Amino acid sequence: MPKILLTVVKNIFRKPFTVKYPYVKVEPPEGFRGAPVIDKEKCIRCWLCIKACPDRAISVNKETKKPSIWHGRCTFCGECAEACPTRAITMTKNFELATFDIQQARSE
Amino acid sequence: MEVLDFFFNSLVFPGLLFASLIGLLYVGIDRKVTGHMQHRIGPPIWQEYLDVGKLMSKEDITPHAAQSLVFNVVPLIALGAVVTVMLLLPVYSAQPALATVADLIVIIYLLNIPAICLMLGGYSSGSPFGSVGAARHVVQLFSYELVFILVIIAVVTRVGSLNLTTVVGYQAQHSWLILDWRLIPALIAMFTSIQGKLMRVPFDIPEAESKIVHGAMTEYSGPKLAIWRVVYDIETLVVAGFIAALFLGGPVAYTIGGVQIPGVVDFLIKTLVIVLITTTLRNIMARLRIDQALKFYLTFGALLAIISLVLVLVVP
Amino acid sequence: MTFVVPFGPQHPALKEPEYFRFEVKGEEIIDLNVRLGYIHRGIERALQERSYLHNIYLAERICGICNVAHTTAYCQTIEQLANIEVPDRARFIRTILCELERIHSHLLWAGVAAHEIGFNTLFMFFWRDRELVLDLKEMISGNRQISASNTLGGVRRDVKPEYVPTMLRVLNKLEKETKYYIDVCTSDRTILARCMGVGVLTKEDAIKLCIVGPTTRASGVDVDIRRDDPYAAYDEISFKVIIEREGDVLAKVIVRLREILESIRIIRQALKALPRGPLRTKVAPKIEPNEALGRIEAPRGELLYYAISNGTDKPERIRVRPPTYANIPSFKPMFVGGTIAEIPIVMASIDPCFACTDRVTLVDSHTGKARVVSFDELRGRRK
Repeated sequence: MPKILLTVVKNIFRKPFTVKYPYVKVEPPEGFRGAPVIDKEKCIRCWLCIKACPDRAISVNKETKKPSIWHGRCTFCGECAEACPTRAITMTKNFELATFDIQQARSE
Repeated sequence: MEVLDFFFNSLVFPGLLFASLIGLLYVGIDRKVTGHMQHRIGPPIWQEYLDVGKLMSKEDITPHAAQSLVFNVVPLIALGAVVTVMLLLPVYSAQPALATVADLIVIIYLLNIPAICLMLGGYSSGSPFGSVGAARHVVQLFSYELVFILVIIAVVTRVGSLNLTTVVGYQAQHSWLILDWRLIPALIAMFTSIQGKLMRVPFDIPEAESKIVHGAMTEYSGPKLAIWRVVYDIETLVVAGFIAALFLGGPVAYTIGGVQIPGVVDFLIKTLVIVLITTTLRNIMARLRIDQALKFYLTFGALLAIISLVLVLVVP
Repeated sequence: MTFVVPFGPQHPALKEPEYFRFEVKGEEIIDLNVRLGYIHRGIERALQERSYLHNIYLAERICGICNVAHTTAYCQTIEQLANIEVPDRARFIRTILCELERIHSHLLWAGVAAHEIGFNTLFMFFWRDRELVLDLKEMISGNRQISASNTLGGVRRDVKPEYVPTMLRVLNKLEKETKYYIDVCTSDRTILARCMGVGVLTKEDAIKLCIVGPTTRASGVDVDIRRDDPYAAYDEISFKVIIEREGDVLAKVIVRLREILESIRIIRQALKALPRGPLRTKVAPKIEPNEALGRIEAPRGELLYYAISNGTDKPERIRVRPPTYANIPSFKPMFVGGTIAEIPIVMASIDPCFACTDRVTLVDSHTGKARVVSFDELRGRRK
């Protein structure tokens, strides 16, 4: 009890460890695996990403014939980014992916 | 005029409005300080107002299995009881708002009513968690109440009067009872007792969330839960005010540099200090088991109170 | 007169749904039945449907908290299956990740245990320091929790030299804090009142019931896969196996906290001895018919993977035996004779992870019959 009392009293005068998250953002470190995005210019349609994806989250858009990633299935493992021969897929630092519009849960 | 005064007293100051505003603020401060003690930001100090406001706007639900009359009425009875105690406490001067012949025994009884109401609410809710919580409440009530009453007996023996106004007046003439070394054990016992009364760690056994959800309050939701929260918050203020009156000389009006500071400011400072002490206590301990709590109160707590009582009687 | 107290599937003390039936006489528990299977997810069957590489990410999701342990065990088993040698650097990085995960898992558990006994301040302190470990994991692997670092034949990400000073600084801080926690937990009266002599598992029972991990080490059984059957780089690192004799909840707390100190020492050594070299070797997608058994010391105890290959790129069968499944029999000696009020903390004391446990077999302990539910049956129910 006395030991923890000392710490507790000390903590009142210290800066809190937590941050007010939605107002204060903490930048993820370099190499963070956030939402993957596809650079359509670089894509050569080799479909290696579709083979690499363990969740079958990548599908081919019928109109544009380009891959698109559905975040609803994506587990952000980064295998597609590793598999891509032209580095067309990159992992961004964006992790705030909640949305009301299902079309936005997709990296085209 | 007397009728108007009565209504003003019971509904505005120091009754319902004042007590709930200050009570909610104090519990908000308690939560904020708890947050900082745990090295986090914690909610803003007005969080309690937001919580109660939100609960008030929710749908009022009475469970199918509940005894609806008892279940719905007990929060209001409890609210009435704590507000009445507020009227009987010296808030702005030694004289309470309700200047009747009510003495300490009435306050002791009234302070028990919220606990009894909670028990009834728990038993009538038809939920097993409610019943278990209520049963634990009974056990806990019998343990902390003994200590509480023994402490009051010690103080009353020291002063020689059962009237709270006289107790406060005595302290104004002589000195605060906290400065009397014979009553120090009683004060410590008092703090252990109110930890149980306010259901704070280590004695929050009746609502231990990891075991029995929220104890007797499990089935309450919406406005009824909001009333329970207000009751709890006012009870925090009332108990703090009661200790302030017993040990810290109650509200005293000062004059500093020609400026009159009313007694109510003194009351607020003293009660806040007491609330902060209970906050610190609840943050440095683990919850005891119900049998350990009973044992603690019936040995350690009661012993301290009795030591004080004996000292008061024996040492001149 | 005895009566039955149901505990679960929905209960605030259980973070995951499981059902326990306590037969009680007054406050005393005289018997206990466990019924598992509420969160069966059909993962073992699903593992047979995917290729070896894709299975890593499925195995990772058997348990979120010990995901590195699961992938390490899985990769190790498949590497045995295909006779692949893992590069030295990858072995050391696996060790570092495993130990970081052990620290975070033990801190998480200690926080939950502190919450169970109503000590919210300590709960917040434990989780505050867990945040530091999660930040390290995020830095190394790219995510706080699910590291996705292991792959067949090595690891995917390097521990870069510029990480090392940060890691050492955080580890020093953690070491200081952990020593403080051990001090608090062994001296605080209220913690002692709640934990000492509660839920005792004797050494005989622990050996008889084949209990694993910190639960059994708290009872004085000297078992640790890291030392007994070294994997990753543990054979090149010196460390102590932490043993306590009492077997009560307090001993389990102390064992885990002291293991954190030991883990910090292991990470320091691994960082110092980190050899240069490649991170991964190439693995052919198809594996010849073979069978292999891999086991590692997950934070909760011995984690066992068994795999059979059939020449295709998909496994014939993979069996997972997570530590919680092995530890469930210990509930009986720990609970019987105790009181109802002790249930939450004793239940928490083995660090149960039921999501790991519920994968294939439903055991109805009421009738004593065990029944295996097939994937088709599960699918049939859903229709």
